[in-house]
Amino acid sequence: MDFDVIVVGAGPAGSAAALTAAKGGAKVLLLERGPEPGSKNVSGAMVRLDYFTPTFDVSSIPIERKVKSVDLMFLSDNNRVRININVNANLANVGRLKLDKWMAQQAEKAGALLITKTTVLGVEKDYDKYKVITDRGDIRADRIVLAEGVNALVSIKANIRPDLNPDQAVQAVKEVYSLNKDEINRRFGFKADDEGTSWRILGTDPVPYAGFLYVYKDAVAIGVGVPMSILIKRKITPYTVLDEVKERLGFNELVKGSSLREYSAKVIPEYGFPSWRACSGKIYLAGDAIGLVDPLTFDGIGPAIASGTLAGKAALESYECNRYEAELLKDREVRKVVNSRPLVKELINEDNFKYYVRTVNELLHSWVYGDLSKVKLDVGRMLKHLLLGIGVLKS
Amino acid sequence: MRIEERLYTLRYKKDEQPHLAIIDPNRCLKCAEVNGVPQPCIAVCPANVYAWINQKIIVSYENCVECGACRIACPFDNIMWKYPRYGLGIALRYG
Ligand SMILES: Cc1cc2nc3c(=O)[nH]c(=O)nc-3n(C[C@H](O)[C@H](O)[C@H](O)COP(=O)(O)OP(=O)(O)OC[C@H]3O[C@@H](n4cnc5c(N)ncnc54)[C@H](O)[C@@H]3O)c2cc1C
Ligand code: SF4
Ligand code: SF4
Repeated sequence: MDFDVIVVGAGPAGSAAALTAAKGGAKVLLLERGPEPGSKNVSGAMVRLDYFTPTFDVSSIPIERKVKSVDLMFLSDNNRVRININVNANLANVGRLKLDKWMAQQAEKAGALLITKTTVLGVEKDYDKYKVITDRGDIRADRIVLAEGVNALVSIKANIRPDLNPDQAVQAVKEVYSLNKDEINRRFGFKADDEGTSWRILGTDPVPYAGFLYVYKDAVAIGVGVPMSILIKRKITPYTVLDEVKERLGFNELVKGSSLREYSAKVIPEYGFPSWRACSGKIYLAGDAIGLVDPLTFDGIGPAIASGTLAGKAALESYECNRYEAELLKDREVRKVVNSRPLVKELINEDNFKYYVRTVNELLHSWVYGDLSKVKLDVGRMLKHLLLGIGVLKS
Repeated sequence: MRIEERLYTLRYKKDEQPHLAIIDPNRCLKCAEVNGVPQPCIAVCPANVYAWINQKIIVSYENCVECGACRIACPFDNIMWKYPRYGLGIALRYG
């Protein structure tokens, strides 16, 4: 049996692509290597509902808790700053297994055929079609969407993009602790069962890292992401960094009496499109497969859905590559990632990162003590990054 | 908590065929000379899959959490890195 479109990977990008192509009337096959969508996927869990509305029917979206506040923390040396931001709408904590299943189900409802436990090994041109090689046999289709995530083995093998190198990747580890709902509400001061929070933590010790904390219905997740080149240079493992961060935050006290429910890890890409191609012939790449994540905010599901939706449309209408890439660059979510790349590259630099975390700390601590005279600001550096941030300078 | 205890929380279905392998052990010796120990693959791995024992890299592939970091970290492209077949390997509940 041949298909019009084969989508590789049932993450946010793949399900959005499959749904879009199937809705348009194409015969779509969605292939996923995990036993079910989401079962191989790791991420934190803060999403904006706006991500989903252009593509999915959000009336039934499985949310763990609504994010009512975000805590921003800067940790350096012995100083700590914690800024609490109240959130009025639209942010939610989700669990990937439920969320990814829900997205894939919407693609199925639109007519896509989902097959799990099947790993795609390669894609080859086969006369005027493509042959998709899997560990269960070969299938043919006219157009392909590769939404295979950060370890884009198929895209790399097909020579559409190169592999990442350690300077372009963050290694993230995550732990989930189960705790009953009432206990979570009490310890975090939530007034209702659907109230939640997210923490974003930027710290300098033992190495520069970005950490996060999310609250599920009956669990608390904590994790850190560390630039891979720093782990290699400092010869430190990612879980050692996580353990130190937990210690510094008093996390073990916060989840006292609960047990570790899950330990996981995943690479976050910091580089990709438009430096890499997003297309070859009638093969369209989307999401983490072309590095569409803002690593400083961990925002990846939004750009994955936006680019996946465009890839589904491109596959439906057989776009030429230039057209697909131009459409990607026009998209708001994708553009946000692309525009932030030069600044991200600068801020991931160990020196700059430490400088900012320390400066925010010093500035606010000095202000509290009523003496701002000792704070030395590197105005040149800040100006450069400000200009990069607003897109005036190109790195 | 030791890594082995953390890995106990995961559901694994073992693929009898290893999905990770060292391509050329000599490159690892060279890597140890150039980069010192622990080498990049050992530093980035969250699951202690790699160990340097008697000047050789030992791979406990059945502990792998499929993150992909070692493949990217290895400066000698010396790791044959695939996914376990048929959806075997880990299955997460939260992810
Ligand atoms: C620790 C961490 C925290 C994060 N926090 C957030 C957050 O709070 N908010 C946010 O928006 N983003 C967050 N992100 C980023 C976000 O998770 C990703 O950007 C997003 O999941 C990318 O979606 P995707 O569909 O491109 O890829 P993925 O979600 O990785 O999906 C790819 C799918 O393809 C399958 N697959 C891969 N190869 C094959 C193959 N050969 N054959 C068959 N199937 C295959 C995989 O099993 C997987 O299901 C976080 C990431 C990490 C690591
Ligand atoms: S990083 Fe690569 S070359 Fe170095 S020890 Fe590990 S596998 Fe061998
Ligand atoms: S993929 Fe990740 S968990 Fe598996 S061996 Fe490599 S670094 Fe370790």
